[in-house]
Amino acid sequence: MLQQLISLLEEKKDGLSLFEISRILKSQPSAVMSMVELLVRKGKLLEFGPDGKCCTTCGLESECNLLAVRGKRYVLAGLSENISGYQIG
Amino acid sequence: MIPSAKSFFRLDYGGKVEREIAGMLALFEEIKFNAGRYPQRWLAIKLLEADADVLERVRSMPNGSLVAAAAQQSAEKLKSLLGEDVDYLTADRRYGYINGVVRQSLHRPLLDRITLTDRIDDIVTHKWLGLPFFFAIMYIMFRLVIDVSAPFLDWTDAVINGPIANWLSFLLNLTTAPAWIHSLVLDGIVAGVGGVLVFVPGLLILYFFLALLEDSGYMSRAAFVMDRFMRVVGLHGKSFIPMILGFGCAVPAIYATRTIASRRDRVLTALLVPLMSCSARLPVYVVFGLAFFGSKAGTVIWAMYALGIIVAMLAGLVFTRTILKPDVSSAFVLELPPYRQPSFKSVTIHMWENTREFVRKAGTTILFVSIVMWFLLNLPWGVANKRDSYFGQVSGGIAPVFTPLGFGNWETSGALVTGFMAKEIVVSTMSQVYLKEVINDVAVEPASFGRDLIGIGSGFVDAAINSGKILVSIIPGVNVMDAGAETQDTVLSLALRENFNSLSAAALLVFVLLYVPCVATLGAIKHEFGTSWAVMSAVYQTVVAWIAALIVFQGGKLLGLG
Repeated sequence: MLQQLISLLEEKKDGLSLFEISRILKSQPSAVMSMVELLVRKGKLLEFGPDGKCCTTCGLESECNLLAVRGKRYVLAGLSENISGYQIG
Repeated sequence: MIPSAKSFFRLDYGGKVEREIAGMLALFEEIKFNAGRYPQRWLAIKLLEADADVLERVRSMPNGSLVAAAAQQSAEKLKSLLGEDVDYLTADRRYGYINGVVRQSLHRPLLDRITLTDRIDDIVTHKWLGLPFFFAIMYIMFRLVIDVSAPFLDWTDAVINGPIANWLSFLLNLTTAPAWIHSLVLDGIVAGVGGVLVFVPGLLILYFFLALLEDSGYMSRAAFVMDRFMRVVGLHGKSFIPMILGFGCAVPAIYATRTIASRRDRVLTALLVPLMSCSARLPVYVVFGLAFFGSKAGTVIWAMYALGIIVAMLAGLVFTRTILKPDVSSAFVLELPPYRQPSFKSVTIHMWENTREFVRKAGTTILFVSIVMWFLLNLPWGVANKRDSYFGQVSGGIAPVFTPLGFGNWETSGALVTGFMAKEIVVSTMSQVYLKEVINDVAVEPASFGRDLIGIGSGFVDAAINSGKILVSIIPGVNVMDAGAETQDTVLSLALRENFNSLSAAALLVFVLLYVPCVATLGAIKHEFGTSWAVMSAVYQTVVAWIAALIVFQGGKLLGLG
């Protein structure tokens, strides 16, 4: 299942949101969330805010209205370096 | 009942992992390792997963270090064989199993997966229908803004130029202030600031609809729909978000370009944002729209907003092929939030905050300019004809530039120059220049506070009833408007009709839409991108505005419309 998720993101260089992943995998977002969290913890996925910035390095993550409304996007760690639209930090 | 050993569920982690688990269990047996209350298989898996808590506990047990070392060796072996940590492999198996169980036991009809949001998005973000839908929404919005707010505009105009002017005049008479103070307050401040405040009801309604579109989630769809067209000019949908903000005010929209990664995209977006018709231009559109286009005013104003977008596209096309050639295209990622019912509180706060900013500007910048304008219109002191005032002389010097555009009089050229401070000031200045004689001609009735208040209250009720009727009449086939009922002419409308015709009015609207951004917007561009881009913005927009207005006026004359 984790491998399926990684394979899915390998094809999506712009990444996917939790809602999109759960829709494609036909699973509940709550179920996908724990998988995504594990993969982020393992360093396989990077999470970004809706504006392409890396939320984990932002001190305002907990207060971000944009994030609350639009949610994070997840990108395969290796792929994110090639995406000019994304910035870390 | 205690379940038998056979009834315990045991997940199969796959051949290689299972072999290492078995090896660990064999080791436990061999060294008589006492796992205490922990099930041995569970303990073996946790040790292979390198669970920090379990490792710490095991190391404190007799032979624990030996067990931990064996587990580490097994885990490394599995990683070299399978290329992943054991905790990843076991989690993958668990999630796979859970997913299988859920799929077998839970059947959800396909219909449930297609949400209302999906159904709406099928239409509003449709490849071909999306753009017409966007323009239709904008059209309906501006029709509602103009039609519904018209009775309130009349009411505000009547209140400012009636009771408020009378009360101020009465108070000034009490203080025995000199005549020039009377003139400064009534012809300068009331005409200038009041001329702009008249449009507060229209702005309230505009901000109400913008808040509805934003809070409902439609604005994200608009950016998505525009993405395809933005790419034609070398930008992407992300650039349209600042442009949408530009419908409110260009200054925050310029700062909103910070969300765009590429500097080239940021600069180009900032150059195009001021072409979006900000709310400060709305008073100009409304006053000319109602004066010259009557029931078509809503359509004319919508056309101004559409023209702003079209000119921005064309300007983008030119910039992309000349001074701002595209770099590597960056990805556009836009999450479309589900549609939501906007909350009354949120919409009200949005309306209030934006309108408050407009009123604040009326009380500061516009008040200041109105006072300066009054002095410029009355200097040299005692000048009889305003054309001979300093303002009239300077404006008269500039006026020939606008003659080919159909509004080459000193009053309009002066108003356009002062509009550089803020676009609402065009109306404010025109109110002062054109209304002076009119206001002076109005016989000041003795102030009657109680009667005026009753008049204000009943006028408001009438305006509300008329707005309600107009709103209902918008429904096709329904007409509850009184026969012959129409919007009253404001004092400024009457004055403008003596100096413009519908063609020169249209040319002026186009010029106001496109010409130099206000000083605050240029300041924001300078702050973000430097002086040269601010100068570039001012120059190119003024040139484009002049050419566009020329095409409208001269083209209209050639077609026999003038």
